Amino acid sequence: MASALRAAILGHIRVPVVANGSKLLTPLWIRSMSSHDDHLEKTQVIDRILDIVKSFPKVDPSKVTPEVHFQKDLGLDSLDNVEIIMAIEEEFKLEIPDKEADKIDSCALAIEYVYNHPMAS
Amino acid sequence: MSGAASYLARRAVQKERVRILYRRALKDTLNWAVHRHLFYPDADALRERFDANKNVEDIETIDRMIADGEAQYNKWRHPDPYIVPWAPGGSKFTRNPTPPSGIEIVYDYGREDH
Repeated sequence: MASALRAAILGHIRVPVVANGSKLLTPLWIRSMSSHDDHLEKTQVIDRILDIVKSFPKVDPSKVTPEVHFQKDLGLDSLDNVEIIMAIEEEFKLEIPDKEADKIDSCALAIEYVYNHPMAS
Repeated sequence: MSGAASYLARRAVQKERVRILYRRALKDTLNWAVHRHLFYPDADALRERFDANKNVEDIETIDRMIADGEAQYNKWRHPDPYIVPWAPGGSKFTRNPTPPSGIEIVYDYGREDH
């Protein structure tokens, strides 16, 4: 008897579910708090990295382009390179392993690395 | 000339050790001096210490200096360093792993036929 009542109530408030593919009906607002699939745009990455490099005190801001090499074109030291990479890590909340951080030598490499990193934000 | 090649190889290894040591020392400086207005003078002092030895040529001296530097770094390591949350050692590491691929939710609430 209780189960019949329950079935009647459920039948009354049942929301009709369309058997269509669910992707079309998934409202966009459901995952608004999820950062699962939001990746940075490449232009954003380029702008932020260029800002970091330009605000470095030993760098001449007018020479900075997305393909510039830190030691050859900007005349920086290898220790300055380390400092720039640390600043990039702090900006994008990344943790770059030491061996890979050693290899990042130019703006182009840095942009590539940050853009392809899944956890860059 | 294998002599020159091995010398250059040793120098390259030393340069890499110096870069990695500087990177770790800088991060450690930031761990100890959390506020930026304290960090910047400390980072400058660290850079001065590295720059003072920049022009040493003798390979054995450089090796000894690097070993000294690494010993000092190990002595001053912070016990609770800041690690980015999703990295190993951070607070969010393996906190919410993605479920295995075969599992899914069956959306049939109200339509179960018990």
